[in-house]
Amino acid sequence: MKKLFILLSALLVLAVAGCGGDSKQSTSGGEPQVLNLYSWADNFDPAVIEKFEKTYNCRVNYDVFANNEELLAKIQAGGALYDVIQPSDYMVTTMRKLGLLEELDKKALPNTQNLVADLRSPSFDPEGKHSVVYAWGITGIIYNKKYVKEIPETWSALWKPEYRGRVILLNDNREVIGMALKKHGRSNNSTDPAAVKEAVDDLKQLAPHVLAFDTDTIKQKFIAEEAWIGTIWSGDASFVYKENKDVAFLVPKEGTTIWADTLAIPKGAKHKELAHKFINFLYDPKISAQNYEYIGYSDPNEKAVPYHSKEYNDDPILKVGAAAIASGEWLTDIGPALPMYDRYWTELKTGK
Amino acid sequence: MPKTWRNHALLAYALAILAFLYLPLMILALYSFNESRINAVWSGFTVNWYASLFNNRRVLEALTNSLVVACISTVVSTVLGTTGAMALNRYKYRFKAAINGLLYLPILIPEIVMGLSLLVLFSQTAIPLGKVSLILAHITFCVSFVVITVNSRLEGMEAELEAAAADLYATPLQTFRYVTLPLAMPGIIAGALIAFTLSIDDFVISFFVAGPNSTTLPLYIYAMVKRGISPEINALSTLMMLTTVLLIILAHLLQGSPKKASPADE
Amino acid sequence: MKNGKFLIAPLLLWLGIFFAIPLLIVVVVSFAGRTPYGQVIFNWTLENYVRFFEPLYLSIFADTLWVAVLTTVFTIILGYPLAYYIAQLPKKWQQPGLILVMIPFWINFLIRSFAWVIILRSQGVLNTLLIKLGFITAPLQLLYNDTAVMVGMVYSLLPFMVLPIYVSLEQLDRRLLEAAYDLGATPFTAFRKITLPLTLSGISEGTILVFISSLGMFIVPEIMGGAKAALVGNLIQNQFLSARNWPFGSALSIVLAILSLVLITIYYKALAAGKGGGKDA
Repeated sequence: MKKLFILLSALLVLAVAGCGGDSKQSTSGGEPQVLNLYSWADNFDPAVIEKFEKTYNCRVNYDVFANNEELLAKIQAGGALYDVIQPSDYMVTTMRKLGLLEELDKKALPNTQNLVADLRSPSFDPEGKHSVVYAWGITGIIYNKKYVKEIPETWSALWKPEYRGRVILLNDNREVIGMALKKHGRSNNSTDPAAVKEAVDDLKQLAPHVLAFDTDTIKQKFIAEEAWIGTIWSGDASFVYKENKDVAFLVPKEGTTIWADTLAIPKGAKHKELAHKFINFLYDPKISAQNYEYIGYSDPNEKAVPYHSKEYNDDPILKVGAAAIASGEWLTDIGPALPMYDRYWTELKTGK
Repeated sequence: MPKTWRNHALLAYALAILAFLYLPLMILALYSFNESRINAVWSGFTVNWYASLFNNRRVLEALTNSLVVACISTVVSTVLGTTGAMALNRYKYRFKAAINGLLYLPILIPEIVMGLSLLVLFSQTAIPLGKVSLILAHITFCVSFVVITVNSRLEGMEAELEAAAADLYATPLQTFRYVTLPLAMPGIIAGALIAFTLSIDDFVISFFVAGPNSTTLPLYIYAMVKRGISPEINALSTLMMLTTVLLIILAHLLQGSPKKASPADE
Repeated sequence: MKNGKFLIAPLLLWLGIFFAIPLLIVVVVSFAGRTPYGQVIFNWTLENYVRFFEPLYLSIFADTLWVAVLTTVFTIILGYPLAYYIAQLPKKWQQPGLILVMIPFWINFLIRSFAWVIILRSQGVLNTLLIKLGFITAPLQLLYNDTAVMVGMVYSLLPFMVLPIYVSLEQLDRRLLEAAYDLGATPFTAFRKITLPLTLSGISEGTILVFISSLGMFIVPEIMGGAKAALVGNLIQNQFLSARNWPFGSALSIVLAILSLVLITIYYKALAAGKGGGKDA
């Protein structure tokens, strides 16, 4: 009977030992300031964060979330827990509307002038008052040349009967319905019920062909060749390409969706000065180059190009993405139309 | 004897189910030696993930947080749940239906709703989000499972044994210590096991009530999915499995040794 | 011993503070509305409950119930013999056996699910094996369908069936069985007349734990089912994580909870009636 308790206490001892070992590290060098960072996982090169900690004698507390709505819930609950957060495009609109973001002090952020011009005034925050674009990507078609012989130049290629059961769509209602809207030559932010219905009716024809809806593990599905063709973000496509050279990526003619994760400071943040220093630090050309080599997405920093490796600068998929940047349209918060999208999405999933 | 034939069949069936349970774990362990960072297909053998695991401060912190939270919530919810189940089983209560409702509802409510409502509660009552709020939440969702498991054990128990003990002039405390508790123990252990299992792997509720510096292992892993779960996590899981098995063997040996010897060992 | 009655107080107090009060908030929110940007506004409406009765949502509830019933049946079929086996082991091996069953569930749920994907996908371990052995020539589509969802559900909920059944089997008085055999009962009769009725409490606790947990599942359908089947768990999740419709999500949760409560009550009543009937026969 005592076995379980022995087991539990052994685990506890291990855990406490782990804690003790950890606290020893941080005792040297006075009382360092803390920066509470709340972001997506693996969104920074750990070495870059360490460099920042050393340069400014501080400690970065890096916590993670997996979904924009989760971020919103945490920030709305209040308590000013975090100093730097990373909302995506449409979430910046929402948070600005709800007054949850601090206005950025541009004077403290000279390095953000290094951003590519197209990303400096995104529609979700046209003057860049509350956010700076950090990571960005574009939605396109990924296909495996072994199985897809004809280059899928338009979104309609996904509907071809020969790919039945081998198609992947992003598991996100805005992305998928937005794609179908683009196919019909409309804005991916359309709130016109007729336009959205037309797009959804079209998608209902596609739904039986779909192998899976997937955003998070889509890379594995294309690397393992479970799927032949599908919609994907450029950064993920580049990942797949590194592991499977048979895949190609393109942005269809009709135009597409462009997305970004930003850096922002939540209202009431306790270490605002340090937060600005952190944001500015990330746009230093050398730091930026090091950071994006690690995370593998397109570097939005114009000045960083010379510091990148040849391999990174020549990445064919990141190039496709960067060239198509002008054909992309940002997703904005569609507010009142969101329940309509959600209902159509449920219909698509259930096939009703 | 047909009995031995039956035992063989039963053993085969049990082994088949254990194989079903452990098959994914074998694959998981195998892929901890996979070269590929994204771990989609097999691309070569390496032990590097084990080395880099021990340099990954954030994974180790997350593991520590998970273990601390799981151990504390298991102990507290087991004690709370067991006392509650025993009282409920022994005494008649008015509003029994309401009490039962309160006990069953935490299991019936979807996790995400519980997580969000706890987030609202904590933020309204100024309980700071962090390890404490995590532990409070974990105890809350574990305790009902303990009550139900312990209760199912008590229901099958014969009340006469306690009465007999009382007849033999045992004090209530002695009856509890020497009769009730040992009889209920398998239920208590099963309840504690369920609580620990629920706590160590909880993601949804933890997400909403965690704060700075309290990222648990499931939170860390879920957040990693977007970029691809690193094989370091496979390496960690493999080590956790091996450690648990070793601890069980160790605990078994410790308990198996004669009682007289154990104080001398220390 | 009168004071003993108050031993239940800490438990009730705890659940009152950390469960009942937050639950009350959920109930209140379920009668609220939302602003265009997802803020909750308290305009007291039944709209969220009315919406539930639309055929779209009713059919999702029906599908979910069916999946939950199947999951429960399969976990009993797989779990009972395993629990039986562990319970008849020598005392000192029972606990290690039990922990052996639990260990897989201490490994992160996602990692386990992805291991299943590696096993079942078209170029996966199982298909490769079957092709090598010559059973099939082309890979089978084992993933992203209802069967895969069922495998995932049964796998993740099995321990919640095994543990309670084990607990009830463990206290079974084996002398009863001996007596039955002495009286010439076949093993099957002995099992049906003695073991099964006496372990019914374990099965029913297990059924409740498994049935309810499977009603709220949402990650298994996402990973193993390719996010194609929408179950109630996914529907609720979407209300909070993409539609930003907390009131509708809350209403769905309340409906789900009430539905489970009703089903459990019916189940217990039926069980009690069955026990009574058994005695007469």
